[in-house]
Amino acid sequence: MTQAVPPSTAGETTSDVGSRSASGQPLIEIRGVSAGYENKRAKTRLIALRDVTLDVYPGEFVAIVGPSGCGKTTLINMIAGFIKPLDGTITIAGREVDGPGPDRAMVFQDYAVLPWRSVYNNVKFALENRRPRPSKADMRDRITKALDMVGLIGFEDALPYELSGGMRQRVGIARALVSDPEILLMDEPFGAVDAMTREAMQAEFEKIIAETGQTVFFITHSIDEALTLADRVIVVSNRPGRVREIVDVDLPRSRFDEGVKGSARFAELRGYIWGLLQAEALGAKVGGGAS
Amino acid sequence: MTDVRARPDLAASENASVTESITRSKWAPFRSLFITIVNLTTFFTLWELVALSEVINPLFFPKATDMFAALYNGFVDGIIGPELLHSLQNFLIGLLIAGLIGIPLGLLMGGVRIVDLILSPYVWAMTSLPRVALIPLLILILGFGNEMQLTIIVLSAVFPMTVNCMEGVKTVDPSLVRAGRIFGAGEAQLYFKIILPFTLPFVISGINQGIARGLVGMLIGELLGGGGQGLGFLLDRAAEQFDSPMLYGTLVLLAVISVGLVQGMRWVERRAAPWRDFSRA
Repeated sequence: MTQAVPPSTAGETTSDVGSRSASGQPLIEIRGVSAGYENKRAKTRLIALRDVTLDVYPGEFVAIVGPSGCGKTTLINMIAGFIKPLDGTITIAGREVDGPGPDRAMVFQDYAVLPWRSVYNNVKFALENRRPRPSKADMRDRITKALDMVGLIGFEDALPYELSGGMRQRVGIARALVSDPEILLMDEPFGAVDAMTREAMQAEFEKIIAETGQTVFFITHSIDEALTLADRVIVVSNRPGRVREIVDVDLPRSRFDEGVKGSARFAELRGYIWGLLQAEALGAKVGGGAS
Repeated sequence: MTDVRARPDLAASENASVTESITRSKWAPFRSLFITIVNLTTFFTLWELVALSEVINPLFFPKATDMFAALYNGFVDGIIGPELLHSLQNFLIGLLIAGLIGIPLGLLMGGVRIVDLILSPYVWAMTSLPRVALIPLLILILGFGNEMQLTIIVLSAVFPMTVNCMEGVKTVDPSLVRAGRIFGAGEAQLYFKIILPFTLPFVISGINQGIARGLVGMLIGELLGGGGQGLGFLLDRAAEQFDSPMLYGTLVLLAVISVGLVQGMRWVERRAAPWRDFSRA
């Protein structure tokens, strides 16, 4: 384990660049996936995603950006195993997704921490339902480690309603990290947090992931957030969502260095993605008027 | 407990003070009590003065002191005690039966769609129907006894409990359920670790409403059922005998009981679910 650059996977060669994407077998394979919701009253089906194909490699940080309502959340919910695709398949490490599993953990936009449980017991929730159930001492060690990672030591006994939004999301992140899953699914995790806190949490999260080397599937509507965190940014088109373009983020880490955020390349990438999204937003208006 | 000073970085970055000691006058807790005492004293003094002036016929409006005397004598002479005991006993048994039926039924209706579809027309009909309308039928079936009084209490209290429990289960935050599933909870664990704790405050409000409705049920049962027992009977008899101090005394007693129960349940609500805002109602 070297400290300088996060080389999370074996066979990593491009260590001078921030990208952690590796060659070899993809961890998550999304093949021709479509998804939709039935509207029983109108006897119609609203297609949220159409024919999405995407590979995510071990240790990679992938961010999904797209206009609201483009099916980003639907996609992450399918990877989580909450819903099934209408068409196509999603496989993780070669096995088709059939419901939630211990290889995946999720961080929710609305935190989804249990309001009646203390911070400590909320994090414990991610361990206590597993079979075989870890020993008490083991759980204590892992929970303490996870709480330490997100800076919640000292708040073990607090109830969520006593905490600010940012602190509650720290609980959500600790809960996702504690079981050390291969894949972290994050559905706009910092979307409901105020701007100042968001920046601080992004920087901390970048550090955590550099340490743990997890594969992250991250939904956001902030281009800056995508560019500061991700190895690749997937731009999704308007509803029905398709993969519009995949942008490799060839920026060095840590991106929170002023030099990186202020660099010409950062501005260039931001401008490029912004242009793609704006075209989509305009397309939506035209499409909306036509139908 | 939690110490923010131990982590100044957090306190600075998030303004995350969890607990902080506040300096307050040690008399502060007694202030509202003091106001209440002054308030009630003024109320009863005004009552006394109005009654002394005899603007209203004393037959309908006794002096406050007479009312308290009637209450005191009623307790000392053993007139009120047995009736109070009878009413409270009936009420508590009725409430217990209502809870044993209503709460599981509501939880089941909230969780199992087909049960909900089948039962909800009846539940809603019974919830909306004024309970007094059932009295003639119940007297016909059960006569003027204790069974009838108990039945009306159960029927009054059970449906608010059912409806609240049902709503609680139905309104479970979907992202809490998804969190449960992603972190490995099976069906049983989802129910016991997510759905039931989420529903608990609803169950308590159901019990709360059940208490309020059950008290009404208790009184109409005793007033109209002619069982010759209970606080309702005491009211009825006092009115027949033009014993207005006793009539008012019994009303005050009922008010004290209701307020006590409602405040007690509020306390339970705040204890059981401090994360919820119970400012309504």
